This record gives sequence, structure tokens and C-alpha cells, in this order.
Amino acid sequence: MTSLLASMWLPSGEDLIRFAPELALVGTLAVLLTVPLVIGRSSIVAGRIAMVGVVATLLLAITVGRRAIDGGLSGLAPPAAGGMLILDNLTVYFKAVLMLFLAGTIVLWFIISADTEQHGTEFFVLLLGSALGMVLMTATLNLLMIVVAIELASLPSYAIVGFDKHNRKAAEASLKYAIFGAVSAAIMLYGVSLIYGLYHTLNMTEIAPRLVTHLASGHNVFTIGIALVLVLGGIAFKIAAVPFHFWCPDAFEGARIEVTTWLSVSSKAAALLLLLRLVDALSGAAAAQGVVLNALTGLAWVIGLMAAVTCTWGNFAAYRQDNVKRLLAYSSIAHAGYMLMAAAVFAHPASVRADHSPIAAVLVYLLVYAVMNLGAFTVVAVVAKATGSESLSAFNGLGRRSPWLGVAMVMCLVSLVGLPPFGGFIAKLWLLLALGSQGGTLCWLLILVAVGNTLISLFFYFRIVRAMYLFDDRQPSFSAPVPGIALVNLCAVALLLLGVLFINRPKLIADRYARNLFAQRPAGFVQRPLDRNDGIDPGTAVVRADEASSTDGPSAKRR
Amino acid sequence: MDSTLLSWLVFVPTIGAVACLLAPREVTRTVAMLASGISFVLSLFLIPPFLGAGDEMNAAAVFGSSYGDALHFIQRIPWINGESFTIEYFLGLDGLNLPLVILTTLISLLAVWASWNFDEWKINKGKKGYFALLLLLETGMLGTFVALDFFLFYIFWEVMLLPMYFLIGVWGGPRKEYAAIKFFLFTLAGSVLMLVALVAMFFYSGAAVAEYPELAVSYRDGASVLTTGTFDLIELATNEAIQKYFGESLFLGWRFAPVMFIFLFVGFAVKLPAVPVHTWLPDAHVEAPTPISMILAGVLLKMGGYGFLRLCYPIFPSGGQFWAGTLAAIGVVSILYGALCAMAQTDFKKLVAYSSVSHMGYVLLGIAVMTETGFQGAMFQMIAHGISSPMCFFLVGVIYDRAHHREINRFGGLWLTMPKYGTMATIGFFASLGLPGLCGFVGEVFVLLGTFEARHTFTWAVPAAILAAAGVIFTAGYILWLIQRVYLGPQKPEYADYPEATGREMAILMPLAALCVVLGVLPRVVFDYMNGTLRNILDQIL
Repeated sequence: MTSLLASMWLPSGEDLIRFAPELALVGTLAVLLTVPLVIGRSSIVAGRIAMVGVVATLLLAITVGRRAIDGGLSGLAPPAAGGMLILDNLTVYFKAVLMLFLAGTIVLWFIISADTEQHGTEFFVLLLGSALGMVLMTATLNLLMIVVAIELASLPSYAIVGFDKHNRKAAEASLKYAIFGAVSAAIMLYGVSLIYGLYHTLNMTEIAPRLVTHLASGHNVFTIGIALVLVLGGIAFKIAAVPFHFWCPDAFEGARIEVTTWLSVSSKAAALLLLLRLVDALSGAAAAQGVVLNALTGLAWVIGLMAAVTCTWGNFAAYRQDNVKRLLAYSSIAHAGYMLMAAAVFAHPASVRADHSPIAAVLVYLLVYAVMNLGAFTVVAVVAKATGSESLSAFNGLGRRSPWLGVAMVMCLVSLVGLPPFGGFIAKLWLLLALGSQGGTLCWLLILVAVGNTLISLFFYFRIVRAMYLFDDRQPSFSAPVPGIALVNLCAVALLLLGVLFINRPKLIADRYARNLFAQRPAGFVQRPLDRNDGIDPGTAVVRADEASSTDGPSAKRR
Repeated sequence: MDSTLLSWLVFVPTIGAVACLLAPREVTRTVAMLASGISFVLSLFLIPPFLGAGDEMNAAAVFGSSYGDALHFIQRIPWINGESFTIEYFLGLDGLNLPLVILTTLISLLAVWASWNFDEWKINKGKKGYFALLLLLETGMLGTFVALDFFLFYIFWEVMLLPMYFLIGVWGGPRKEYAAIKFFLFTLAGSVLMLVALVAMFFYSGAAVAEYPELAVSYRDGASVLTTGTFDLIELATNEAIQKYFGESLFLGWRFAPVMFIFLFVGFAVKLPAVPVHTWLPDAHVEAPTPISMILAGVLLKMGGYGFLRLCYPIFPSGGQFWAGTLAAIGVVSILYGALCAMAQTDFKKLVAYSSVSHMGYVLLGIAVMTETGFQGAMFQMIAHGISSPMCFFLVGVIYDRAHHREINRFGGLWLTMPKYGTMATIGFFASLGLPGLCGFVGEVFVLLGTFEARHTFTWAVPAAILAAAGVIFTAGYILWLIQRVYLGPQKPEYADYPEATGREMAILMPLAALCVVLGVLPRVVFDYMNGTLRNILDQIL
């Protein structure tokens, strides 16, 4: 307990500036709750307040992040906070993407639900509350804080999934989500308690080196192994990785569409980055001590296996769905699988010789995935609102009934499959290149799984395309709301631009944001300037001193 | 020699596609015709640098002394700057893609013209979309042929898929949904393996230049040394460091070159199509509208053969050696099985589709034996088939427009009703049969000769050649039988009042028929433009 108290700190003025984005979110929550007391309940006003708050958070995140990264703020993480809250490039990037996506979700709410909404205030408090939790999830290396952040992200999510209280499906979804979530939280807490019991601290930056020492010398391996697996399970629940995915299709189908849109990207993204951060702490500590841990290799294979199974399962299961929302829920499971692959190779000790490219690949993937999911779900939402049905047959002949929606949906779906010339392909390509750059059996196997899944996923995504263009059962055409069409086409055009003209722009940004994770691990590493010819500030890759002894990768594959 | 001509050529159809969408419905087909016409004319401007290449003295100047030495109309712009690599927008032309580019623009132009009666089709909705997609498809095809950067090649390769899916799926026949998704799935199955090869080749080439920096001299200026992995198709084939490393390294425990060769091969074999991955083709052809069948048979199938010659063999010659027997066996099986299947068909269009499988088998066989004659024969067979098979499909289309069925056994005596059409049909089908004096003959004979030539390298070469030659008999069998059943015999009353082929139909058939004859009599008009490059590739890999 003493160590816990020691890690408490009183914020200084500079700290307040550092965490202005989070504070802005909290402030927005407060405003959302107090304004109705003054002017009475109004969903539209609540929506506007939320929008303003989110945009403000976005701007703050970017400006403060810039200052922090450029060195305008001394130090990246407040030292006294003991890793309770971290401000680094990763959090800045995630905050920006998440807020952008949240803004998109709110726009979707305005298009779909604003006219029928009765509890706008509560809705946005829950929505923004879960967003705050997700932001915190990626910004901490303190185990207690991790648990708190996950709960903060989850509890509003349970409620928001069952927000339409007269909808039985929503209630069922919410209950399933809550039960699964509670069990996973308990599992994870048990893992955390084991670690705390071993090391008497909750700070991962302190735990990781000692844990690595123990693993290397064979102390407490069993306990540590169980603890790690339990924590991993808790995170996998949030990612909806197989076999912790069962809540996902039900929750996504039962929830309203803007909630599904929100959860399909954000909860997975946050958990994934949290996983990357934990893995980074472990492999960084191992690298700092110059040991190659079999346990880490094992972790890499476990995550890799989970990733492979997750995306294969997601894609196969999606094929049988007739509800488009549920279909896209399975698709989100599959995409989480692709992103998990990057986490797997990142955990692999052989990968440490390389660079941050798996993280950068995940960051790019998140951005592109957010755009294409927002586009696809918006189409589903507009169609569902116009026809009252989310089933595949509601899409029949959509290409004729609403050409703008149809074309944009095709672009989003092709991008989700991962075909050029759209952003989805580029995201997948960076992922494959990141896997390939690490070399090794695990990586090439994962690459084969990933491309094989592209093929499987074509089948079910194109069931929607087929319905839209190849079937025509003469349903009446409808005029979709103009903002909806605008949003969808914005996403589609963005995907096209990401796939043709601005292919490397997100990657360059992501590289910059992914890089500094390695800044904290100098010992045992040599800094080598990368061979660069792109005129961007020359970064440094971290190379393990004993790189030459690596046995995997192309250079070792000799006949 | 830098030029933007190839870019114009590739993207004029795209501009046309946008124009089709914007222009009023009445002029859509005119706009499409204009766009494809312009790109055909532009493609003719590609010929001058290659003129006179038939002369031994000139050949070296035109084609260079080695592969990649003398590319024409090069356009090279850094496109994507990664951390340790540059993906380029790199277009170029040599003897390998020049004939195919001109074939593409010609067949596309004729296909647009063949769509002129779109308003009379059974499914005549979405006229703008139809022509726009057709033009987008042309961009994809041209881009694939002229792209010399693997990444760019892959993008164009995949860009072809979507328009084709919709062209078959929306404007196709009764089983269009099945045919369209089958086409898409088969092609994508091949191309995802190509994607793995793309990633692997990039990293292994990076490892190669790190391993043998002293050998990594770039072909571009003959002096600078490559320091990073590359996507440049010519560099991958000619860089000694990369070639040495590709030949000796391992991939997941297997030899790198044969594995990558197969990864690429599968993608191209699906397109070719080779047995046993050919099953999408008859379905796609039967369901696709006539102009789309023309493009599919005339151009898309050539992507496979082109891919072998551009990627598989120059980059992984040892893979070619390793799999030669298997490939030749697949080729022979395709020839015989395709011909036998064609013989069994009662659907006119399906028969022509299976004849394509058979004919493209010669391409595979000619390439597999890795002799100069074989390569020449394979390449010529692609061009010849690219002319005769669109013609055959259009001939089927002409009669289908009148009869609205394609049952061979219900036809008869059409020559009497439509003498001009009958004459054209005879030329087209005899060219497909391989009658001496028409284009189909030259390619097949060269492939057979090339296969015999390889008898000292491969023990199976002679039996393969004999079996492939036997295929010619089957071909003669089904084509003669077809002509007999459809065009000869007494006039049937239900077809007696059919109008003769219209001026438009004759105008589409005439150039193709003329080319069938010209290429059959003067094969030099094709050989001269490609022999030099084929020889360079062979020098490189043997």
C-alpha cells in the first residue's frame, strides 16, 4: 500500500496542460450533465455540446501533443506520476484518431437518431465516458490504472449497448456483454493480483525488469505465466479475440447502429494499443537486459495463434450472416485479428532487432479501419432507417435505388476486403511489410494466413455487393438524407485517396508516433540510422547488439 | 528515353470513363468510342522506335544487348517513399509488352463498337456504368502490361477485377452471379499468393544487396549500387546480387526460387487459364455479354502468359528449371483436356471458351521448355489467339443476337442465309483451328518445334511434343464438326429470314479477319517486334 501512496502526485500547472485533452473530455461530461438543469432536456443541445467537446479535445490533443513531442513540455511522462498516466506519441496519435472517429460517430447520430432520441444527455455522457476510458487505457503502465481504465471504458459500454430499453434484443445484448465483461474483468484482476503479490508494485516499468530477470533465471515461471495469460485474456476480451469473442456479434447486433459503429473500432483499438504497450514493456526490459526469453517467444506464438484463429473464425462466421450489422460485427472480429498479428510479431524476441514498424502498421490500420467502418456502417444505418430492416435483402438493388450510397458502399467494402486501389489494401500492405520485415517462421505463416483470409472475406463482403447490384427485386427507390450520403462519400473518397495518392502519408505520420516507444530502452541497444531517402527527419532504429546472432529472417536462410 | 506517352495511353480510358458518367445518355457510347479510339491511335505511336528491328543490325539497337538495356517510353516517378524503399511509378515498353498493348487497345476499341447496340440488349439498364466500367477495365489491362514496378503491376492487376466482376455480374446471362463471383474468387486466390511473393521478394532482395554489396550494381546506369530492397521488375531480374541470393536462400525451409515461382505461377495460371484452375473461364464466358467475352478471351487471358514471361522466368530462372516438367505436363493436359471438353459442348459459346483453354495450353508448354523457339511460339500464340478468339466470340454474338440461343445442334445452313457472315466465320474458326496460312498455325508450330528442340535438356520433351501435336487433331475435329453443324448443310426454315451481318458487324470482323491472314502469311510483323526481348530474357536465364 505504501508504494501505492508513493505514486500519488499533485498535478502542477504543466501537468494540467499535458492532460488538457483528457480534462476537456471530463469537462464536457460535466457540462453535459449540468446544462439540462439550466435549460431543460434537449437531445440536440446535448449532441452539439458533445460535438464541441470532442472537437476541442481533438484540437487540444494535437496541439498539446505537438508541444510535448517537440520538447515544449519538459519530459514526456510526469515522473512523479509513476507511470500512472503517460503522454507520449502513441497516446497523442490514438487520442487524435479516436476523437476524429468519435466526431464521425456523433455526426452519424445526428443523421440517424437525433430526431427520435429522447435521452440524448445520458447517451452522450455514456459515449464520452467510454471514450475517456479508452483514452486512459492506452496512456498508462500502471496495472491498477489499467483495470480502472478498462472498467471506465466498459461500464458505459454495457449501458449504451442496451440503451433502447424497449428493445428486447438490445437488453439481451447488454446483459451478455455485461456478464462476459464482468467475468473477464475478474480474470484480469486475478492476474494483476498475482503480479502484485509477486512484486509488490503495480507499476509495469518497475515490474517488467524484475519479471524478465525471474523468467530468465527460472523463478516463479509458473505463476508469472498464469498471471500473464490471465491479463492477456482480459485484454483479449476487449479486442474480441477468439475465444473471448462471444459477446461481440450479439452486442453489436443488439446495439443501435451508431453504438455498434463506435464499439467496433474504439474498444478494439484501445485494447490493442494497451496490449502493444505491455508487450513493449516486457520485450523492452528483456532487450535492456540482453536476454532472449523463450517465454516471450511463447507469448508471440500464443498471440499469433490467437490472431490467426481470430481472423479466420471471424471471416468464416461472417459468411453465414443475413443481418448486415451482425455481418460487420464478425468482420470487425476478423480485422482485430489482422491487427493482433502485428502485436504477435512485436512480442517476438527476434523482432526487437528491427523497428517500430509493427506498431506503425497497427496505427495506420486503425486509422483506415475507422474510416472504412464508419462508411460501411453509415450506409447500413441509412438503409435501415429508410427500410426498417438491417437484413441483407434490404440492400437488394441498392445500386439502382440510391446510386450514391451504392457506389460508396462498394468502395468501403472493397477496402474492407483489402483490395487496391483503396486504403484497406494499403493498410494491409503495411501490415504485411511489417510482418515480413521481422522475418521468421511465425511472421511468414501469419502473412499466409492474412492473405488467405483476404480471399475468404471477399466472399461475404461481396454478398452485400451482389445484393446491391446483381439482385433487383424492384423495391422502391428512396432518397437517403443528404448528410448521410455526404458522410459516406467522404469516407469513400478518403479511402480512394489513401489508396492512390496519399499512400504513405499515414504511414509517415504513424512512424513518427510509433518511434518514441523505443526511446526508453537504451541499454543493450545500439542506435543505427536507417537508410532513408525520403527527406523526412532521419529517425533511428533500435538494433539489438547481438543482432547478428538472430537465427530467423532472410539473412539466415541459407541453403 | 523518357516519355509520358504510356501514361496518357493508360489514363485516357479513365478520363473517358469519367466523361461517360458525366455526359448525357445519348452520347455515352460515342464518348466511349472516342476514348478507346484515342488510346488505340496513341498505341500506334509506340511502334516507331521498334521499326526495322527485324534487321539483325538494328535489333541490338532497338532491344539492347541485354534484358532491360533498352526500354522505351520510360516514365519513372518516385511514388511511395517508405523508410527503406521507394516504390516507383515506373512504366516502360519493350518487345514483350508492345504487341500486347496494341492488341489491348485494338480489342477494347472493337469491344466498345461491339457494344454499340447496347440499347437492344436484354439488360440495357445502366448504360453509363457499362461503358465507364469497360473503359476502366481497359486502364487496368494497359497498366498491367506497361507497369515495370511490381507494386504498380499488382495495383493494376487488381484494378481489373472489379470492373470485370460488375460487367459479368450485372449485364451477364442467367447464371451471372455465380459466374461473376467465381471469376473474382479464382483470380483473387491467385493474386493473394502474388502479394505474398511481392512482400517476400522485397525483403529477400533487401537481404541480397546487404549480403553481396559488391554484386549489387543496378542496371539503370550500370554503375550505382543498390542498397535497399526493390520492387523494380527489371532490377529483380538483372541484379546479380539479387539473382545469386534468390537462387540460394530458403523460405520456410524450402528453396526460395521454386516457392516464389509457384506463388506467382498460380496467379498467372488462373488467368491463363491452365487446367485445373480453368473452371471459372467457361462460366464467365457463357454468362458474359459478347463484348466482354471478346476482352476476356482477347486480352485478359494474355495476362497469364505475360506474367510468366515478365515475372516468373526472368526473376526465378531456377524455379523455371525446377518446375519445367510439371508446367509442361499442365500445358499438355490443358491442350488435350480443353480440346476434348470443347468437342463435347453443345453450347456454341462454351465450345469457344474451352478452345481457349486448349490454345492457351500451347502458351504454357512453349514457355515451359525454355527454348527461344518455344518462347517465340508462346508469345505469337498469345497474339494470334488474341485476334482469333475475340473474332470467334463476336461471331457467336452475331448469331446469338438473331437466334437468342446458342445450341449448336439447332443451327444449320447459316452460310446459305448469311454468306458474308459465313465467310468471316470460316476465316475466324480456321484461324483458331491452326490452318496453315492463318495466324493460329504459326504459334502452334513454333511451340511444337521449340518443344522438340528441348529434347536434349528434358527427356519428356519429345512425348510432350507428340501429345501436343495430337491436340491439333482434336482441335481440327471439334472445329470442323462445329462448322459443319452450324454453317453447312441445308438451310433451315426458322433461320431463312435472318438478315445478313450488318455493316457494323462486318466492320468489326474485317480487321480481325485481315489480321488473321496477315499474321499467318507474314508472321514477321509480330516476330520482329518481340524476338529481341525474348532472346535477351533467354540469355539472361540460361
